[in-house]
Amino acid sequence: MNSNLKKINIYAIYLGAIILILPLIAFFINAFSFRWFYPQVIPKELSLQAWVRLKLIPKSGQRSFEGFIDLWASNPAVIKALINSLTIGFLVTVVSIIIALPAARVLGLLNFRFKKLIIFIMVSPTILPPIAFVLGLNINFISLGFSGSFLGVCLVHLVPIMPYVVLTMTGIFANYNPDFEHQARTLGANKTKTFFLITLPAIAPGMVVAALFAFLVSWSQYLLTFLIGAGKVMTLPLLVFSTASSGNPALTAAISIIFIFPAILILFFTSKFVSGESGATSGFGKI
Amino acid sequence: MKFKIKFITLAIISLFFSKLVSAETAPGFGSWDDVLKAADGGQVNVYMWGGSDAINGFVDDFYGVPLKEKYNITLNRVPLAGTVDAVNQVLSEKEAGVTGDNGNIDLIWINGENFWTLKQAQLLYGPFAAGLPNSKFVAWDNPAVNLDFGRPVDGMESPWSSAQFHFMYDSARNNYDDMPRSYAELSDWIAANPGRFTYIRPGKGGFVGTRFVKQIFFELSGGQEQWVGPFNQELYDKWAPKVWELLNSWEKDLWRSGETYPKDNAEMHSLFANGEVDLDFTQSPRGAGPTNTAGTTPPTSRAFAFYDNMIGDFNYWAIPYNAPNKAAALVYANLVLEPELQAAQVQPANGFCCGWGISTAKVTDAAGKAAINDAQNNLGDAAEDQNILAKALVSDIAAEYQDLIEADWEANVLLK
Amino acid sequence: MGGERLKIILSLTPPLLIIITLFFGGILYGLLQSLGYQPAIGKYDINFSAYYNVLFSERYARMFWTGLGLNLWVSFASTFLAAVFALFAALAIRKTFFAKTICNFIYSLNLPMPHLVVAVGMIFVFSQSGLLARFASQLGFINSPGEFPVLVRDKYGFGIILAYIWKEAAFFFIILMSVLQSLGENFEELAQSLGANKWQRFRYVILPLVMPNLFSASIIVFAFSFGAYEVPALLGVIYPQMLPVMAFEFFLNPDLNARSEGMALSIIIALIVMVLVIIYFWLTQAKIRKD
Repeated sequence: MNSNLKKINIYAIYLGAIILILPLIAFFINAFSFRWFYPQVIPKELSLQAWVRLKLIPKSGQRSFEGFIDLWASNPAVIKALINSLTIGFLVTVVSIIIALPAARVLGLLNFRFKKLIIFIMVSPTILPPIAFVLGLNINFISLGFSGSFLGVCLVHLVPIMPYVVLTMTGIFANYNPDFEHQARTLGANKTKTFFLITLPAIAPGMVVAALFAFLVSWSQYLLTFLIGAGKVMTLPLLVFSTASSGNPALTAAISIIFIFPAILILFFTSKFVSGESGATSGFGKI
Repeated sequence: MKFKIKFITLAIISLFFSKLVSAETAPGFGSWDDVLKAADGGQVNVYMWGGSDAINGFVDDFYGVPLKEKYNITLNRVPLAGTVDAVNQVLSEKEAGVTGDNGNIDLIWINGENFWTLKQAQLLYGPFAAGLPNSKFVAWDNPAVNLDFGRPVDGMESPWSSAQFHFMYDSARNNYDDMPRSYAELSDWIAANPGRFTYIRPGKGGFVGTRFVKQIFFELSGGQEQWVGPFNQELYDKWAPKVWELLNSWEKDLWRSGETYPKDNAEMHSLFANGEVDLDFTQSPRGAGPTNTAGTTPPTSRAFAFYDNMIGDFNYWAIPYNAPNKAAALVYANLVLEPELQAAQVQPANGFCCGWGISTAKVTDAAGKAAINDAQNNLGDAAEDQNILAKALVSDIAAEYQDLIEADWEANVLLK
Repeated sequence: MGGERLKIILSLTPPLLIIITLFFGGILYGLLQSLGYQPAIGKYDINFSAYYNVLFSERYARMFWTGLGLNLWVSFASTFLAAVFALFAALAIRKTFFAKTICNFIYSLNLPMPHLVVAVGMIFVFSQSGLLARFASQLGFINSPGEFPVLVRDKYGFGIILAYIWKEAAFFFIILMSVLQSLGENFEELAQSLGANKWQRFRYVILPLVMPNLFSASIIVFAFSFGAYEVPALLGVIYPQMLPVMAFEFFLNPDLNARSEGMALSIIIALIVMVLVIIYFWLTQAKIRKD
């Protein structure tokens, strides 16, 4: 291969990578500065003021261990939103995986009438826009008493999550060989043992990917939580959106950093699973 | 004779009961003690525009803490993108048949059009404002207080603070003496400084922009007095075309040639701070003080006002008909009227946006008066001269103009 | 066989139930409301006035049709450009070189980033007073923010397109990387040994092999970018406005008629997406059959 072309290729990749990171750099600079106005590239005033205003770091002079604990115990909005987002994300992930597992198995291994129709129904929330269903659902939920409730928000989060979880796991089962199970059964293992010792380890990597997808989708929901939560359920994306509209870039940047932190963690974990060895993504492509 | 006696007795008895009833603090609560008792140990859900982290912090610190410590009430502050979101929520709940104490919202930071929407649809709880102990500090006889956008308050909302529209400039780039002091002068200024001015688009979240445009109506028509009172379609139709003509004549010299306008305060401050435009807007008696402290405008920012037609008004707290914690809502509405807390609103160090909700003249106790005097003397040099502001003060007008101006601006200026 | 049938039905019911009651139920309810059927306030008549207002009335028609044009342009451009960018990146990054793993990581970095944050990031970097503009000013290219080109909050939706490309390119990238990896280099080497040059290898070997995955991924990206609210809400201008933002603003209007119009608009958006996806399917099925 032409080595000059190769060099250009590589430099192009480096350039692309640098451009891709620029927003992150801007976030970090903004979050740790004060009055970073045009045309400053390097901020004139570095400061923790954004984090102090968010009540995540105590004012200077109170930055002892107790100071931090006291501050966080006063339940500032960011901590409240963080806990809510984590809890909802965790709950809906677990529930969606449990619900999706039997369905994915059936869709991945068997063939039956209406299978295509059922897959189409399962996929539709990823195609049709959320605004089409959540406006109508809003009034319904209010009269059913789900509006403004934690449960209501969890329920509505399940809608965009189910397609991803079902499809990812269907992809796993499509590449799965049930013969091992039959062998275990003929050797005398009962259903539960077979599931935990044979099936689960085999589908675990795919399950992890599905779980991470589910968590991320719930983590980033804005519109659904905003409407159904009715202001009583405050999650991080709502806080990011309202801070972004409030015009204080340092605060927005600081909250955004907290918001993307789990996402980056998740990327670390998934890069092992999604690098091509897992059947998840190719199953995804098979639709 | 027997009949007469019966009648008189009945009259006396019903008079007696009606006196009891009219002594009621607020619907459903006989006395303030009843209110305190009912509120104890509960929560209060306060829905307010969340676009200023300084105001958010102020509410959390100055109200949240005493609510918990003195009254054992937990504050749940809910930030909104716009007050209309809360109005919408109440409407949706009404549509879904939610009544009694089963709603989600206890208090809404509200005024003007939004207030009228809820009041006329009978979706508010009250009248409650006169029953608050601290309402004695409120200047209820002042039409600026008892009329909200020209409509009677009737005790269905209780004041919090006040605001007056005026301008900001950056003393590092411009001089106070060069600033325009009327829309006529502003026109000249824009032509002399192409690309350096814009205004917030009148619309949702952009009521400052609507105010900016309303004031043009006042100046072009020779004064605000004729606009006070009920909505006057003829008056509007007479002057609207001239207003659009003026705004359109500016377009080529505006920022981005008038192709687009910032949609709210946040965008506007950002343009100003980053040097894209030279003038900005403020509603605080401390002028550029609050935004300078927050770091969203350069520390050299200062304020100025036109010599006339600067709209000022009060903003209030209202309680929806189906609020779940009505007693706690009453305690909160009363708390914000405490003289010392009102003085804290005005103190620059606390970063609050706006001005007095009470009449400082009505405060008689020493501690309250001391706090008030301290605040008055501390307004800071980022503020405009309070005398100029007072001279230019005019009240806002009937709510119907708001929607009309927003829709017509869009049709006649934005879409041309 | 009856037992197996029962098992199938039982397994499929929970997820189907959720999607049918919540998702399709919500759409149905929104449809009814948009047609004027609101039992809670005693309106039982069915009429299309909300739809008529949105599509043809003097007040809204112009906003709707320009908004639709903007929507189509933004979705097509974002999907196409994101796919192209990711394709070239994935192809270029296959050979080993210094800092390859880091680059791999960076190119996939935006995948778990929520769209909200990407949108805010675009403002920080590309606005007229953003990071790039400040670099330009330090290097002496511009004297004031007004001289920097308008890239976000512009009327052609460039900012929105940028944000979608930023995020979706990572999505395409990961999919392409895994596909290319599982394909291996055999096909390419075979073609090379038969005398095919780079372009021919790309056009006749690689492209057909990645097309199915690219295709299914791009349907999702297109549909998403067409109907999503958050990014255009943060990065769009007042006019023209993308349809989901318009629908949401209508819905948040206390005037009940405006709310019906908001629901009508969101149903219209859903219908358009459905039609476009069906056309997309039909076109590519035809193409696959041809090949």
